[in-house]
This record gives sequence, structure tokens and C-alpha cells, in this order.
Amino acid sequence: MSTLTSSVPPKRIHWSEVSKNIYLALICFFLLFPLALMLMMSLKDKEQIIFQFFSLQPPYHFENYAIAFKYIAPLTWNSVYMATASTILTVFVTALAGYAFGRLNFPFKNLLFGILFAKMMLPGIMNLVPSFTLAWRLGILDTPLPVILFCAGTSQPFWVFVMRTFVAQQPRELFESMRIDGANEFQIFRFLALPLLRPMVALMSINVFISVWNDYIWPLVTIPTFDKRPLTVGLAQLTQSRPGEYGMLTAGYVLAALPLLIIFFLSMRQFIEGLTAGSIKL
Amino acid sequence: MLRIIKTNKGQMALMGLLFVAPAILMNLIFDWYPMSEGLYRSFFKWDGYKSAVFVGFRNFIDIFNDDIFWTSMANMLFFLVMAVILMLPTVIASVALFRVRNQKTQYAYRVLFCIPMVVPWMIILLMWQFMYNPQYGFFNRTLEALNLAQLKQTWLGDADLVKWCLVFMGFPFVATNAALIYLGGLKSVSDSVWEAGALDGVGPVSKFFYLELPLIVGQFKLNLIGTISAAITGYGAQLILTKGGPGFSSMVPGLYMYFSAFKSQKYGYASALGLVLFILSLVVTLMAMKFLKNEDQQ
Repeated sequence: MSTLTSSVPPKRIHWSEVSKNIYLALICFFLLFPLALMLMMSLKDKEQIIFQFFSLQPPYHFENYAIAFKYIAPLTWNSVYMATASTILTVFVTALAGYAFGRLNFPFKNLLFGILFAKMMLPGIMNLVPSFTLAWRLGILDTPLPVILFCAGTSQPFWVFVMRTFVAQQPRELFESMRIDGANEFQIFRFLALPLLRPMVALMSINVFISVWNDYIWPLVTIPTFDKRPLTVGLAQLTQSRPGEYGMLTAGYVLAALPLLIIFFLSMRQFIEGLTAGSIKL
Repeated sequence: MLRIIKTNKGQMALMGLLFVAPAILMNLIFDWYPMSEGLYRSFFKWDGYKSAVFVGFRNFIDIFNDDIFWTSMANMLFFLVMAVILMLPTVIASVALFRVRNQKTQYAYRVLFCIPMVVPWMIILLMWQFMYNPQYGFFNRTLEALNLAQLKQTWLGDADLVKWCLVFMGFPFVATNAALIYLGGLKSVSDSVWEAGALDGVGPVSKFFYLELPLIVGQFKLNLIGTISAAITGYGAQLILTKGGPGFSSMVPGLYMYFSAFKSQKYGYASALGLVLFILSLVVTLMAMKFLKNEDQQ
């Protein structure tokens, strides 16, 4: 305790420290301002939004939430379903390939890796139109399949690269010893590689989940029916079709924001790391 | 003994191929195949379904004579330049965050920085749309409350203001995920370096240029490339908020491609636009990479 206090200079205001905190607090205030406004509006009826925009006075219209819930609940389910299925499929396929590229020898290894690696560099802008016609020919429009399959097809190259590097860094003896014990490759993958890859799997899951959760254009073009659409598309459509009903709409936004916020506060540490996965040293 | 090793090798090769097969096949079907078809269809007049007529370079000639295309390119350049300039506030914020001494306070800011990332992007976008709403929105309401009603605007409905409104949606221009990535870079160096810097009496400004900036410059370059290619090919905000309007005042090439396909059913023309954007984005990215690499060697 004494060493701690001795290193702190006698009470003096550090103006640089104060100014930094004011600056950062202002940034946070402006970052969160739209969300605060969203909460504020979600409790107002139409008259209050027009005549008492800035007032925090009751009456509070909690029925906005009840009305919005009817629209939001099925859309939320669609988003949860699509994002979860996409994440599981993509992560499984990626981990399997990442392990094989990092640890096993097989013919055409470099060529096959090159196929994925090139896709890391090439922009995806040209894909939209022909992807749509492909989904149409496969007869999977208006189902969650386009979102799930195209996510698994397009988002793995970077992560295969990350997992391959990670697997290759692990000591070779670890894998050899299991092989000598008579385990087959799938068992080695399942009981050794996958547990080792856990942190990478967590990072990737968070990133893939959020990117599917936020995706707008692809589900917009492939899923025409309102009831089957994910939250992003449904919210935009709802906002368009209910002009001026901002009490109900903002209540809907709040409900739509909740699932991820709850998961975030439940697993903050993992999330903070996962969201900054771009900082992984390759 | 030899035979055992041999079969193991054969088994390993087989398993290896089996393990990578799902990833490779899916990538080929859902990523490579559409890309190649886009390339191929750029040379066709195509309604997206059955009738496809080979037209050679017709689509590309049409694009280069298309006024809407050039308007959209000019707009894209505006958004690109703004996006690159507005990367700086994030750097400053991350350095300020790093310099906060109290680790608990710093952690609290990091948590707050994460919130905009876990709230769906769509909701933030729709809230800005609400704030810009001429009738109900925050900006006009605030002007009224300040007795400045004569300054009220139609914001996104104003051809002169719409691009600035779309840029201002980034306010306070701190990309929080980038800020946290930079923070990770700053923290990767042991405390002793910073203490040595403090002993040498390095001022806060020179500390920024000589100690902090070099630590994040790698991630900054990576972000720069991402920002550039996103600005060239992106159009989500325009699609949701303005549809490229009023008129074509906020049209960007990506959105023009989208409308050509899904509104005008000109799939061949859209594919050609996609190819132009693809090449543009690839060339600019490669040039940026090369330029930034040369900088490194000096």
C-alpha cells in the first residue's frame, strides 16, 4: 500500500488527464446520442413527438413496445436462426480446412490453398448479380439458405488463413503423439485441434455472427417475403411503410438492438477481443 | 513397418483432401463461380433468366457514355476523399484512450466503444434518418427550439446537402473497432519504453509522432486499404436512405449497378458495371499496397 501511494504525486490536478477524459467522454456522448434519442422517442406517442420532442415528462407510452414486439419478434427469430446456422456451418468448415492446411500433407495442397487465398484479395462487388441468379436457379430464393450457404462460401478464406497459421504454430509432437496412439485424423481434429483452436473459433464466431446479423443487401434481394426477412431488412421496410410512427418504430429499434447487447454484457471480455480480431498478428 | 507408414501417408492425403473439400467446394460454387459468371455476362445483353445475347464490348461503351455513371463516379470520389480524411479522428481518439492513466477508466471507455459495434448498423442508420427527418427529426426540432426556424433544411431531401448529410452520419467520426485495434497496437509495447520516453522529457506532440504513430502505422495502412475499397464499392447507406437521390445527387456506382440489375433488369449492364468497379477497386488497392510498402522500406 505504501509503495502505491508513494508513486502517486501529492494531490494535484493533472490538466492533461482531465482534458483527455473530457474529450473521450464527449466522443462517447456523441457515439451513444442516437441510441439515447432512440430510448427517449420510444416512450412517446405521435403528439408528444411533434409537440414535446425534448420533454422527458410522462405519460410514457409503453404500449409502443407491445405493438412493435408483434413485428419485431418473428424478424428477430429469423435473424437469430440465419446468423446461428451461418456461423456454425462456416466455422466448422473453416476449422476443418484450417487444420488440414496447417498440419496435413495432401496432393494439390498449395493449389487448393491458393484458391482460397486469392479470394482474400479479390473484391466481392461483382458477385451480387450472378449470385442472385445462381440462388434463383438453385430454387432457394425466399428461404434462409442463400444467406447461410453464401456466407459459408464467401467468408471463410481469411479465417482459413488465420486458423492454418495458428495450427502450424502448435508443436508437431502434440499431433504425432496422438497419431502414434492410433487416433485417426478426424479424432485428432475433434479432440486435439478443435480444443486448441477454441480462441480462434470464438473470435471467428463473433465476427461471422455479427456480419450476418448486420447484412442487408443480400437478404433484401433473396428474401422477398416480409415474414421471412431478417431484422435489418424488416426494420428498414417497416420504417418505410409506417411513416411518422416514430414512437412505435423506435421501440422496435430498441427491441431489435437488445439481443446482441445482452450477449455483449454477458460475455464482455470475449467480445472486446473478438470485435478487434483485426489486430491478430498474422 | 514401411507399409504402415505408407498407408498412414495415403490415409493422411485422403483425409487432408476430405477435410478441405467442404471449404473449397463451397468457395468455388458460391464465390468463384458467381464471380466468373459476372465476368462472362458483362459481354451480354441479359435479362437475368433466359435470353442472353452476346454484345461484345457494347456494355462498356455504353457505360463510358453514360452520364449517370460519371455522376456516380464523381460522388464516389467525394465519399472516398472524405472517408480517408475522416480516418484521422479515430487515430487521435485511440491515442487519447491509450494515454488515460487510470486502467479502470480506460476499460470503461473500451466497453462504451463496443456498444456502437454490437448495435446493428441498420438501427444507427435508421436513427440518423429519423434525426434528418424534416418534419419530426432532431435537427429541425433543435433549430426550432433555438428560434432558428429559418435555418431549417430538408437535409437528405436537399440535392446540395445530401452528400454532406451522408458524411456527417459518421459523427464524431470515431470508428470504434479501428480505435480498439489501434489501442491493441499501442499496448503491444512494454511499459518500459513509455517510461524511458517520459524520462527523456518527450513532449506529448513529439511522443505522438515518434513513439505512438509508428506503433499503429501498420494497422492504419490495413484500415486505409479497407476504407478505400469500401468507399469504391459500398452503397448500403445510399440504398437505404436516399436511393441515390434527390435526382442523382447521391448516386454511387455500386448503387447504380444494383438498380441496373434489380430495377431495370439489365443484368448484363449491371455485370459490366460490377466488372468496372471490381477492376477499379483491385487496381487502387494494389497501388495503395505497393505505395505503402515502398514507404516502409525507406
